Amino acid sequence: MRIFPIRSLLYLSLVSLMMGCNSYQHLQKIRLSDQCLQKFKPAITRALYRTSVDVIGKHISGMLLIKTMPDSSTRVVFSNAMGFSFFDFGFSKGNEFKVYQIISQMDKKALIKTLRKDFELVLFRNMQEKNRFTLTDSAFIYYGFPQEKGVNYYITDKNCAGLVKMERSSKRKPVVEAVMTFNDESVPDSISIRHLNFNFSITLKKS
Amino acid sequence: MLKYSFGILGIVLALTVKAQYPGFALLQNQETFKQTFNSATKNVSGIKSDFIQEKTLSMLSDKITSRGNFWFKRKNKVRMEYTHPFPYLLILNGGKIYIRDGQKENKLSASSSKIFEQVNRILLDCVGGTVLKNPDFQARVFESPGSYLIELNPVAKNLKELYQKINIFIDRKDFTAESIDMFELSGDHSSIRFFNKVLNANIPDTLFAIP
Repeated sequence: MRIFPIRSLLYLSLVSLMMGCNSYQHLQKIRLSDQCLQKFKPAITRALYRTSVDVIGKHISGMLLIKTMPDSSTRVVFSNAMGFSFFDFGFSKGNEFKVYQIISQMDKKALIKTLRKDFELVLFRNMQEKNRFTLTDSAFIYYGFPQEKGVNYYITDKNCAGLVKMERSSKRKPVVEAVMTFNDESVPDSISIRHLNFNFSITLKKS
Repeated sequence: MLKYSFGILGIVLALTVKAQYPGFALLQNQETFKQTFNSATKNVSGIKSDFIQEKTLSMLSDKITSRGNFWFKRKNKVRMEYTHPFPYLLILNGGKIYIRDGQKENKLSASSSKIFEQVNRILLDCVGGTVLKNPDFQARVFESPGSYLIELNPVAKNLKELYQKINIFIDRKDFTAESIDMFELSGDHSSIRFFNKVLNANIPDTLFAIP
């Protein structure tokens, strides 16, 4: 229902290409509430996804469990098919993040930071109203939420009919692109995260 | 006095072991078991079975249940095909490992990923009866009227970082694995239970062919 046409994605990519170094230079600032985004925010009580992680030629597959805990925190647990856990992350209110468990092979500061930021983007976390800004071009609205470094963008069409994609950007250009599809109203059917500056992607599918 | 101290220590140890696995007692003569186990499993040329796997996430109070079909052919062939919740195929054939996950295929050789080979060898050892020969673990054997319990404690450094211990329940009747419980350091554990077992079934080699 909220899957956005591929044509729109192509258009976005084309615009980004035409703008050269700064992907956001062509955008105009506008004042707009972020009410529109609320309907795209994943409301996951418990969801299990078939998961593939491809990183610099290595492929890891397994299952990713996303679960909202009674204290409203969100746990993200990735394990292989035989049940062995690779990592268990917790995201709680106030942008708190905790590594409950991670295997030694993945226990690298840079990797944990990358995974944390990727999940924060797709789980709609760190969306503080205070510094929020909105940009637009002829077709899309960019809801920007500044992070410690860079900005998380949630990009919708002008009528707020669909979430076209999410981006984590540096000052000038996107470094991560993420797309979600929905079959029902609140739980994403699939989530894909792709890093643009190195070969790293995460794909989650419910079936 | 010293004699009494040893006696009390012996009783305490015995009670501890008993409390650890209710209904099971530590087998005194492990060597005899090894020999019986070894010769009994040699008579099993193949196993066809269904399985249910349950991963218990202790801190999340959650369980992930998977199920599928399992084939073993002596001496080093295993096919484990998950059908639920997601399709996933694992084939171990000699020193080769094949994984198909959706559209993705992955082929590994035992030497290319030591840890992967070690983890998969556990599976092969458990059903093939060679588990007590695996130098990566120290084993203790317990018995109950219906089952044996082989407790594997990792001694290899990299396995120590993954598992606290692995318990294999062996059916006393035919010496085949009833279930495998893998305990992770985090407190989570996964249990694979085999059922609808057919021993010495005619299993074609093509099932284990790595494309």
